[in-house]
Amino acid sequence: VRIRVGVDVVGVERLERLVRDDEDRQRELFTQRELDYCSGKRRQYEHMAVRFAAKEAVLKAMGLGLGACGWREIEVTRAESGVPSIVLHGRARALADERGIRSWRLTMTHTHRLAEAIAVAL
Amino acid sequence: MADVDSAVKEAVVEALALDDDEVTPESTLMDDLGAESIDLLDILFRIEKSTGVKIEASDLGDYMQGGIPDDEFSDENEIITEKGAEHLKTGMPQVDPGELAGTLKAEEVITLFTVQNLVEMVKKRGDGAG
Repeated sequence: VRIRVGVDVVGVERLERLVRDDEDRQRELFTQRELDYCSGKRRQYEHMAVRFAAKEAVLKAMGLGLGACGWREIEVTRAESGVPSIVLHGRARALADERGIRSWRLTMTHTHRLAEAIAVAL
Repeated sequence: MADVDSAVKEAVVEALALDDDEVTPESTLMDDLGAESIDLLDILFRIEKSTGVKIEASDLGDYMQGGIPDDEFSDENEIITEKGAEHLKTGMPQVDPGELAGTLKAEEVITLFTVQNLVEMVKKRGDGAG
């Protein structure tokens, strides 16, 4: 089994400046489920930033650069247990299928300044 | 629409906190100017605000790949094929397909994207042709 790893870190303030109070931009980057999750959090922009980092980490794990698919096609989900995971849609899913990727593991961490994600494709 | 050349340059200068003379049409956004993904997002948002032309990150990929199916654009090792490299020249005339085919990784294509490539893309979009 080929294991692929991607990592990314995002400045929380930077992401917040780009999308704060701008629903169109938020909807460009995040699915409705992701936005619903983040908006319920006290530090919602930390949660958005770490999701953005996760999307980037997934692209890197697949050996792809920015623009290979839409941001919403890579979705961060959470199991009831709280474990985060990745669900791919549309082109992102096709790109993963082409690479024989069957599942993902995702770990994320964030402070008020930095948000980091590591994605592992199996 | 605002002058696209200057609108793009201004977006790049401001998003990356650079001096005016550091940004030339030939500068590659990522390698030469040090842009990260979030910087590109910032640049695209600024361009939309000043020109009204909306470009999503995935449009960049479509522009560079030129409609070639993914499995024909790069091989199983994620290396750009001859056909893919030839097509890159359409959106990025500065690239040399002969030099890139068989060596360039798919993830590295975006690193070749220049300020001028972005200008041309915004112009095409603004004309409704992109």
